[in-house]
Amino acid sequence: MKSLRGALWALAGAGVLFGVADLALILDSSFIDDRGLWAAGWLAVAWAFIGVGLFAWGRRPDNRVGMLMALTGFAWLVAGAGFSSLPLVFTLGQLCGAVFFAAVCHLLLAFPGGRLGSRPERRIVAGFYVLTTIGVAPLWLFADPHASRLDCDGCPDNVLLVHSYPSLVTTLSTILNLLGAVLVTGVLVVLVKRWRRASPAQRRFLVPVYSAGVAVLFLLIVLVVLQAGGLGNSALDAIWLAAMVPFALVPFLFLGTLVRTRMIQSGAVGELMARLGETPRRGELRDALAMALGDPSLELVYWLPEAERFVDAQGHDFDLPAPGSGRAVTKVEFEGDCVAAIVHDEVVHDQQGGYVDAIGAAASLALQNERLEAELRSKVEELRASRERMLSIGLEERRRLERDLHDGAQQRLVSMALNMRLARARLREDPAGAEDLLDGAAGELDAALGELRELARGIHPALLSERGLETALEMLARRAPVPVDLASVPGERLPEAIELAAYFVVAESLTNIAKDAAASRATVDITRMNGKLLVKVEDDGVGGADPDAGSGLRGLADRLAVIEGRLEIDSHPGKGTTITAKIPCA
Amino acid sequence: MALTVLIVDDHPSFRASARMLLECEGYEVIGEAEDGLAALDAVARLHPDVVLLDVQLPDIDGFEVAARLTENGTSPAIVLTSSRDVDDLGFLAGRDGVRGFIPKSELSGSAIEALL
Repeated sequence: MKSLRGALWALAGAGVLFGVADLALILDSSFIDDRGLWAAGWLAVAWAFIGVGLFAWGRRPDNRVGMLMALTGFAWLVAGAGFSSLPLVFTLGQLCGAVFFAAVCHLLLAFPGGRLGSRPERRIVAGFYVLTTIGVAPLWLFADPHASRLDCDGCPDNVLLVHSYPSLVTTLSTILNLLGAVLVTGVLVVLVKRWRRASPAQRRFLVPVYSAGVAVLFLLIVLVVLQAGGLGNSALDAIWLAAMVPFALVPFLFLGTLVRTRMIQSGAVGELMARLGETPRRGELRDALAMALGDPSLELVYWLPEAERFVDAQGHDFDLPAPGSGRAVTKVEFEGDCVAAIVHDEVVHDQQGGYVDAIGAAASLALQNERLEAELRSKVEELRASRERMLSIGLEERRRLERDLHDGAQQRLVSMALNMRLARARLREDPAGAEDLLDGAAGELDAALGELRELARGIHPALLSERGLETALEMLARRAPVPVDLASVPGERLPEAIELAAYFVVAESLTNIAKDAAASRATVDITRMNGKLLVKVEDDGVGGADPDAGSGLRGLADRLAVIEGRLEIDSHPGKGTTITAKIPCA
Repeated sequence: MALTVLIVDDHPSFRASARMLLECEGYEVIGEAEDGLAALDAVARLHPDVVLLDVQLPDIDGFEVAARLTENGTSPAIVLTSSRDVDDLGFLAGRDGVRGFIPKSELSGSAIEALL
């Protein structure tokens, strides 16, 4: 902070020194009239920009607007050297005389945040700097101030002059002016776009700055056009002199706007704090924040640490906007934990920087309360959805059961009955045929019994209730078509609902592995950790399992949700699949 | 002359058993169909005397098949069959040209004959 202050004072000193030098150069100029007026106007503009710029820079070092204003002032002082009667100083001043124009446009585009937002903006500003430095340089190799076109008898010599070539100079100036016009158009397009995007509150503080900036741009364009049109030098001088008055006021408009924004903002924080003193009703907090930030599109979303996701006030899932979508996210912490996020217009963030953080911090307690409410709502919503899914899963399971019974065991028993009837009819005339039919019937009976056993196990694994998780999983592992390694399984009995959930996680995972994974082996690992039962089933198959594609994993997640468990699926194509269930288990 | 039969059922094992059983009792099985639309097509082509029609079919169900056959006017004798109980479906016999209902496990030539 100290070093910044020192640097600012040094810059202020340099501004005074260069200003005095300009003053001397202008008063000593051999080619202008009204030297006193020129000197006064020139210094007023330069010192206004430098003084106000350095002041703003010192007050808000994080905002580059002050720095840019000071830069504009110094560029203006350099242009002032163009009044000198000394050939070297005169040439330098004329050569760099247009840089301040680039600085003004930079300032205008960077206001009020101090930074250029988009790539087109950066390109326009870079184009201006290139045009006003490298672009104008060739001109001064051929421009002779004494030649007919410029017609400045009192001017000193151009020290860079290679050869006097007035028609080439005219052509080059026209090209440069056209390029300048393109860039100015770019600036205007950006400003118009911003204006249309701005909220009413933002517009209020953009008005003075934009109108002053556009007026200055316009004036400069008029001057260039008039000069090109061949207006007499004395008339041009008069316009220049007149133009310096509003130009000198520009930095104060900028400053006034910066101060006013801060005042508006501190007023809004006070109002916000006062409102939050009472208990805000639902939606009021959002409205208060939207008003404080001047962004009616502001959204509040709340962090659910258990589910590790954001939800809106109604408890619905909310995906944070991606960078570059035009929306910015400011996270709000309360006692070190993330409680919420303010989703707002990116423009607000650019222009008001850390202010959104301050507003968020002021509202963090209230946000924490609303977060708890949103969490509750989300849980209710989740339970409702889960209950609905459980219901439809139950119905679906019954339908599947009926279908399996009908198409499986029942059909086999029907065939068996028909075969036995046939066998009875043939028993006397064709004992061998009857024997074949009875063999067939016995085969159907065995198959029907097998299918019934399979069905019963799917409804409830009796072995699990009788012998516990370890034995039931051994049975599952033995029946799986790929080798299954039971890495660890708790030996002790757990509550039935938890054992059943863990069993179904493994059963469903192994079914999926057998069906889709093309795996060579699988590992089952069940551990107790921090009051949770972690059920992990890993395979080395093709991966790419989609939890939303089949009803199996979805149904599993719902079964788990009932006992507050969660399912995580890590499955990338070619990298195998890991299914992890976390089940609360004190 | 033997009565001609079309067997309509989506389970091949039942169709095979029913064919053996009915042929054993002197019926002539002139065709099989595995769903409702195939059944309508087969009736139009083969003109069977009797259609042994399963209630549960993969596309349109047996009642619908019966209704469409009756609409066509040239309806053969329709005998519904199902692995479900006669108590569940027996009351539906008599509608849409349906002569009667035989549970699959009780199927026999004489059971069909009793309904004709």
